Amino acid sequence: MKALEKLDAHLKTRLLDLSKAKEQGRKVIGYPAGGYFPEELALACDAIPICFIQCGNNETLKDAGAYICRFFDPFWRSQIGYLSSKKDPSYTIADLIVVPITDNHVRVFSNTLGYYTPERASFVFGVPHVKDNLALEYYLQGIRRVKRKLEEFTGVEITESRLRQSIELCNRERELLREISLMRKSDHVVVTNKDFVALNHASFLADKAVMVEILESFLKELKDAAPQPKDGPRILLTGSTLARGDSKVMDLIEESGGLIVMEEFAEGIRPYWGEVKLNGDLMANLAQSYFMEQVCPGWFRPGTERLDFLIELAKDYRAAGVVWYQLLYRESYKVESYFFPDRLKKETGLPLLVVESEYDAMETGPLKTRIETFIETIRR
Amino acid sequence: MAEYYDELLTLCGFEQEEIEEERPRIEKAFERLGIGPEDMDTADTWVRHHHEVTLQGVRKLLGAWLKELIDVVLARDEGKKIVYFGFPAILGPGLILSASSKDVMVTAPDMVLDHTMGQIFNKLIPILETGEANGLPPGHALCSLWQAKIGGIAKGMIPVPDLALASSYYCDMGSKADDLVAALYGVPVAYIDGVMDSPWGEFPEYLPERVHYLGAQINQALKKAEEVLGIAIVPDAWERSQKESRLYRDNLVRLVELMKADPVPISIAELELMETISSSSTGRGIREGIKAMDILIREMEIRVKEGIGVSEKGAPRVMLRAGHTSDPRITHLAEKTGLAVPLTFILGTLGGVRVNPKGNYNTPGEIIADYEMSGGYYYGTEAQIKFYEMAAALMKLDGFIATYIYNCRPVATISHPQKKYLEEKTGLPVLSLEIDNFDSRAYSADSLRTKVETFAEMLKAKKAAKT
Repeated sequence: MKALEKLDAHLKTRLLDLSKAKEQGRKVIGYPAGGYFPEELALACDAIPICFIQCGNNETLKDAGAYICRFFDPFWRSQIGYLSSKKDPSYTIADLIVVPITDNHVRVFSNTLGYYTPERASFVFGVPHVKDNLALEYYLQGIRRVKRKLEEFTGVEITESRLRQSIELCNRERELLREISLMRKSDHVVVTNKDFVALNHASFLADKAVMVEILESFLKELKDAAPQPKDGPRILLTGSTLARGDSKVMDLIEESGGLIVMEEFAEGIRPYWGEVKLNGDLMANLAQSYFMEQVCPGWFRPGTERLDFLIELAKDYRAAGVVWYQLLYRESYKVESYFFPDRLKKETGLPLLVVESEYDAMETGPLKTRIETFIETIRR
Repeated sequence: MAEYYDELLTLCGFEQEEIEEERPRIEKAFERLGIGPEDMDTADTWVRHHHEVTLQGVRKLLGAWLKELIDVVLARDEGKKIVYFGFPAILGPGLILSASSKDVMVTAPDMVLDHTMGQIFNKLIPILETGEANGLPPGHALCSLWQAKIGGIAKGMIPVPDLALASSYYCDMGSKADDLVAALYGVPVAYIDGVMDSPWGEFPEYLPERVHYLGAQINQALKKAEEVLGIAIVPDAWERSQKESRLYRDNLVRLVELMKADPVPISIAELELMETISSSSTGRGIREGIKAMDILIREMEIRVKEGIGVSEKGAPRVMLRAGHTSDPRITHLAEKTGLAVPLTFILGTLGGVRVNPKGNYNTPGEIIADYEMSGGYYYGTEAQIKFYEMAAALMKLDGFIATYIYNCRPVATISHPQKKYLEEKTGLPVLSLEIDNFDSRAYSADSLRTKVETFAEMLKAKKAAKT
């Protein structure tokens, strides 16, 4: 795929490009994964949004151990590790870090940032855990504060026309990702899960306009592409976080003969199902899309909307099984993993396998055995 | 005619007339809890060994917990509408519901089980194991209080509630476990949502948005409770509920004053019984608890006057975040190593440090939310640590045993910053201690002793060098 080669080349020089952009006076806005920071706001004040989505390296958890105890989600401990160790330049390049606080795992990241590294400019705002009008208003107030902060930080006013342009650009990116993803409903899957996840992850780091071009090229190439040769069971992979560098479970499913046709994750996968409306109050539209219309993560209460969505996805994508991949100590997912399999079985007849990780190489053996057994069981 | 439990209940502060009057209820509740004659010796020894039963106030406090236990176990049989809230929780909504109808029982049953099946009968483990087998497995740092609650329900010890009030402003685990109860038992949930999203360095300030949102969520949850329970919140419910809270808080202020004495007049294991009853009961437990406090305070006054204490005069004084809810052996650890523990976080925040709400709000929900924001606990990590600092200034401390609960995420956020912050700000040594405050299987007194002993020796040496 030429588009993917182009993407690789773009990402290879991305940090250099960002440094140059900074020299020219542009600001880089870092934000952690989770889907609640509207990148449109950063783009509309000519800043560059960069998402913190690296993970999978157990060493960074050791770095985080100087700041927090072990009993937090390893993804968020990784973020603390990357940020504090300064080992990854994509974490140090941000001029301002905006943190949408969802649950206590995210809060521990924002606490560490605020207390241990006060020299790093940061801004926090809250994401409520329920969906109602009160919560929508609270989220809207939060992103309005973000807007003011970004304007003050960059010195660029976010005008209606600038915001509209950035929404159009981001809508286009979401639309392209959606179109590519939907192609996987077909019996003849032409895009692999790994390619789709790579594109999705890249969209958090790449220049937005370049990313849109790459996605357009990729989509064109797909139209002539041959279907994947695999005939293994179709798998819906779901969980809390599937970030960049964490391919262990995807690899094992693939190696075991499974075909992942859909990933549903709250962190690490850019939400692409919705789009932001362009008429009326654009800030309210952002809140509506990012908060009310986005499928909620497991730490929303109740989590029914997401579980309903999973059942729909399983049916739409004709999955033969669901792999529920949770990270250790993310209690919302652990608790749901107890009662959801029964519901899934009743409504779809599908089996579900729960697997868990703390980004430790030692897990690979037991995970392989469990995943292989699961795929084999489905095949039969 | 006396029954097998009379002696134990008397030890736990029951009057004989109370036992006679409640006998059928006691027997029914004990049967459901699996408590029989064979448990009495263990309970008697366990209580005598770990609590100062020479103090009438202590016995009455144990009795207050037992009365709350009996009430919750029988609540369904007695036609009550049952509301469970998690611990810790903003108490205002529960107090308002409780003050609005005598037919409603609002309680934190996990805390009740911990203090009775744990602290009195030493029979909590099978309940925890049942919780583990019903959706909250071990090895994942899930909340052991919730394991007790789910275990208690699954074993049929405590009834399935009519409504759950979810502390969505604080605890992700609690709200999600309420979802579990909803999935398993069809219990409706009123989520009281909030977000601890203040930036580090902002406390004691907070955005009015936080108060408006949390306040509106409280008001909304109360409306839902009215619908689900079929009750109407009476207009003076808030004022009425505050009367008892005020009495309780006034008593805590008196207690803090008494705990300033050297030697410290009473063990923190006894204070734990009263500190937590206000956060667990909105009914008979807290009413009886306040009466018990009155007695205990009088007993403490005598001790202070006579120079009697539970530690040696001049012993190094440390603050402990909280006593253990189910296993007093852990609470006693510090005292057994020769330290005096005059203060806990709860005692300091509820009875000592002045809380300054902004006071610009009118609805019950917003008034409650404003108070809780300024009270620090539900504000966020920074406020909790600063309250440690302020509370410590009350008591001439020599150090902190800064525990953090490994399986309680909102508390575990404090794990490392509290040590750095308190050492820098107060110059006092801090022992950061990882514990499970509700279940002592993995974090037993024996496993913690070496750390506490070493810290105590260091403090004693330091103090001796000064004098």
